[in-house]
Amino acid sequence: MSKAWAVLLVAAAVVRAQDARSIVEESQRRARSGSQRYEGTLEVIDAKRKVTTKRWIYERLGSAGNSKAVLRFTAPAEVKGVALLIHNHPDRASDQWMWTPAVQRERRIAYQDRKTRFFGTDFTFEDLEERDVDRSTYRMLGEEAIEGVPCWKIESTPKPEARSQYTRLYLWIRKPDYVAAQIDCFQRDRVIRRIRYSDVEKVQNIWTARRIEVHDLTRDSRTILRLEKLEYDVTLPADLFTLQALRRER
Amino acid sequence: MMLLKLITWPYVRKHLLRCTLTTAGIVLGVAVFVAMHTANQSVLYAFNRTVDRIAGRTQLQVSAGEAGFPEEVLEKVQSLPDVEVAVPVIEATVQTGIPGMGNLLVVGVDMTGDRSLRDYELETADETIVDDPLVFIAQPDSIIVSRQFCDKTGLKLNDRLTMQTMAGPRQFTIRGVMSAGGLASAFGGSLAIMDIYAAQMVFGRGRRFDRIDLAVREGVRVEEARQRIQAALGPGLQVEPPTSRGAQFEAMARVYSMTANITSVFALFIGLFLIYNTFSIAVTQRRAEIGILRALGAPRSLIRNLFLAESALAGLFGSLLGIVLGVAMARGVAGYIGEYFGEVYGVGEKAEEVAADPRLLGLALLIGVATSVFAGWLPARNAARVDPVKALQKGRVQVISEGENRLRRLVAVAMLAGAVGCVFLSSHPFFFYLGYMLSVLAVLLLTPTLCTLLTRWLRPALKWLRPVEGALAADSLLQAPRRTSGTVAALALSVALVIGLGGISRASYSTIGAWVKTSLNPDFFITGSETITQRSFRFPESFADDVARVEGIEEVQPVRSTRILYKGTPVMLVAADVEKIARRVRARIVDGDRESMYARTARGEGVIISDNFSLLRRVKRGDVIELAAPNGLLRLPVLGIVVDYSDQQGTILMSRDLFKRYWGDDTVNAMRVYAKPGVDRAALRQKLLETFGSRTRLFVMTNEELRAYIMKLTDQWFGLTYVQIVVAVLVAILGIVNTLTVSITDRKRELGVLQAVGALRNQVRHTIWMEAAAIALLGLVIGFALGAVHLYYILDVAKRDVAGLRLEYLYPYGIAAVLLPVLLGSALFSAFGPAEGAVRMSLVEALEYE
Repeated sequence: MSKAWAVLLVAAAVVRAQDARSIVEESQRRARSGSQRYEGTLEVIDAKRKVTTKRWIYERLGSAGNSKAVLRFTAPAEVKGVALLIHNHPDRASDQWMWTPAVQRERRIAYQDRKTRFFGTDFTFEDLEERDVDRSTYRMLGEEAIEGVPCWKIESTPKPEARSQYTRLYLWIRKPDYVAAQIDCFQRDRVIRRIRYSDVEKVQNIWTARRIEVHDLTRDSRTILRLEKLEYDVTLPADLFTLQALRRER
Repeated sequence: MMLLKLITWPYVRKHLLRCTLTTAGIVLGVAVFVAMHTANQSVLYAFNRTVDRIAGRTQLQVSAGEAGFPEEVLEKVQSLPDVEVAVPVIEATVQTGIPGMGNLLVVGVDMTGDRSLRDYELETADETIVDDPLVFIAQPDSIIVSRQFCDKTGLKLNDRLTMQTMAGPRQFTIRGVMSAGGLASAFGGSLAIMDIYAAQMVFGRGRRFDRIDLAVREGVRVEEARQRIQAALGPGLQVEPPTSRGAQFEAMARVYSMTANITSVFALFIGLFLIYNTFSIAVTQRRAEIGILRALGAPRSLIRNLFLAESALAGLFGSLLGIVLGVAMARGVAGYIGEYFGEVYGVGEKAEEVAADPRLLGLALLIGVATSVFAGWLPARNAARVDPVKALQKGRVQVISEGENRLRRLVAVAMLAGAVGCVFLSSHPFFFYLGYMLSVLAVLLLTPTLCTLLTRWLRPALKWLRPVEGALAADSLLQAPRRTSGTVAALALSVALVIGLGGISRASYSTIGAWVKTSLNPDFFITGSETITQRSFRFPESFADDVARVEGIEEVQPVRSTRILYKGTPVMLVAADVEKIARRVRARIVDGDRESMYARTARGEGVIISDNFSLLRRVKRGDVIELAAPNGLLRLPVLGIVVDYSDQQGTILMSRDLFKRYWGDDTVNAMRVYAKPGVDRAALRQKLLETFGSRTRLFVMTNEELRAYIMKLTDQWFGLTYVQIVVAVLVAILGIVNTLTVSITDRKRELGVLQAVGALRNQVRHTIWMEAAAIALLGLVIGFALGAVHLYYILDVAKRDVAGLRLEYLYPYGIAAVLLPVLLGSALFSAFGPAEGAVRMSLVEALEYE
């Protein structure tokens, strides 16, 4: 999950002045890996500052918008075993299925539901998709520092075929390592969600943000995701990313 | 106005009891009309409101009747370009076992996307559970209930609630409470929301949805989108706005409206005669007043208008009282209708608010006043014709309408001839109803003549019983036919109404009883619900094989019955192993060849329809009917027509294989089980319960229990009919009391003279009693005859317009035998007051003139 937008953005490229699209492309290239696995800890802080914690294991095979991923909850007990299977496509929105062990059923997440909140967090289902750079258009807005790190500020507008809930996004990409520092998600002219990436570390030669904070500005709630036991290019069997595998894992 | 105050008001004040009794017919007629229609409307309104509240922002619904459709349809709908949001829904009514709470409507939704269409407005919730759709989904025992439900049951957040599921009673946890209003107040607040996939599991629905609720894309016109979506999905699925469900419900409720209308018309007719009677007598009594007014220069029109205004006022007073009474009765009736619909159609709806439609009340007022004015028109005209000279000569009676009797008889004979003529043209509804109306009117117009004739025949008998009193009573009736004929007509109408209702009830019991005996002959019926009309719970197909393996069982016939739409009306589709059924059931065949029709239906080459389906939908053998199924449009010939009362809207029997293929549904909601000969039925039933009871929810009904259940439903159907019978008898009794009260007042002088010349008090009493009994007897005789005609027509109404029931003509002799002593007794009882009044009146006052 941590790579949802980071994968899009975190990369390396030529250090010279570039246009907006090539910066995003480079960010994506630098984040590329054959597979990924991590254990995530989610902290959801609602508007009343009540904190709930969830844990999951995330496994991904492939990258850059052409990948398959499984996200399986491990805690708390009431959601243990619930899983989400994502098949990302470079040319269209991803296919997503949710597996609920208690009823032994998978259900398809419809495109129309991609804007709904994911697992009670401040992420939406759409935010979990890996999007190919070609599915948006880009415009350079300028340069701004985020937490003292110089960044490019880029406007990204999803193409109609992407069927995104967002009208546009503002991306801040760190100049030193091409890792995304912040994303503001707009619906019409209003920022509805702000995603901040921090604790950037180099893991197996890939600069990765180990802390992602999503702030839902409408609900005034926050979700903090911490990536633990992060590994890239691990061996994962392809048949792990199928509905049959979801049904097997109980 | 001044005349009303100076002349009418003192008269009314003096004869308050009589005036009140006069309006009783109008009161009851209007009350029945208002009560039945308000109740029907309230139940319908509650149903529509439930649909509306559950629909939320839903603009269109995709459905395939009650059977639902496979899950795959959802993806197809979601992928259509006009669709913004499409969410699946399952509905089931379940019992909670909480005393007084009735059924709970469980709506299964996909919480992932459902909030796009519906607001749950949770006032209290375990935020980590309900605010997170996935966590709610992850725990299939999660439910959200309404604040209203919590208030009624005392349950609160995180409490456990037991609900019936396919696996027997199961506990669910209340994980959210919806604020009152909106969605939460649907189904009178007895509503629970749960995850749709959990609902599929607990209700044994397999991988099917009941319907899909959708909203169209912004800027797209709903009707245009509907047409495009319908075209994309094909004719097997219906794409309609949520409001169309109300129209289907209305079709089912129409049956009750029809019977209510017939009773209301009769009650109003009775009221009409009571008013006519009283006003006719009032004109006679107030001759002197009229004479004075005329002598003082009042024109005829003023006198006529005065009486018309009085009748209008009586109508207004009666109608207002009737409206109040009707609205008060409506709540009880609505509860009854709602319960009945729940039992029979499985779509029970509680009318929490019983609010009368102002237009209905206006119409009731208009009908009441118009009936009263119409009733007062003849007396008013006669009043206007009063000759002031004759009126002011005491003791002289002016004969106003000598020629009228002849004219009335002629009109009556013409109407009778017309009614007979209409019998030959009765295939056309207009002539049928015209014939019905003409025959009733003809008998009513002939009532005075019939009264005179019958009284002449009755006179010797009365004289034989009591020579003096009997002769006096008979002569009193003969001398004043106007005074009694109105009451006799009202009484006859009441009796006819009772005979009609009793007759249709007897015919229904007899016909349905015979059908139950021939068609429902298995030893046991296994269902997933307490009743066979509820289809919320279903068994997997394999369950029938499991049951068949139980020792002692000879045969199991799995049945899947479901309500589908046929030309917009919900009808019953029964999918079964037709060959097996044909071997066991000897249904009465209306049209078709027994051997070939069952064999061909079993092969899926056509369908067999019920007689009532044929009559109501105007379908004959050989016609091709089109059935919209989720997997395509089925065009099948009707191979035979049989007598079957499974459903009031009609039944279609088809092979289960065909149903499975076109509906993609292999579930079963009932099993007809035959035991091997000689097997102990009670022990076998126990064995079935022990073998499967712990595994699945099941009810094993014996043949006797099922028959008793069906007869109970028939009882429920006629429950309101019995109320109507009581109303009719009540009106009849009121009519007698009214007439006698009027009669005593009218004959004050005559009775005074009798006593003055030495008649004993007992003789006066007996005269009045005998007169009352004679009126009752006349009403009964004419009523029995009119009832025979009325019964003929309402049986035909039941056949052609209400339920397509081909009922046998069985005259309710039993009811007639009960009516005889009841009405004679009531007449005698009613006569006590007037008789005592007559013997205790002041002779001086009575003989003032002499």
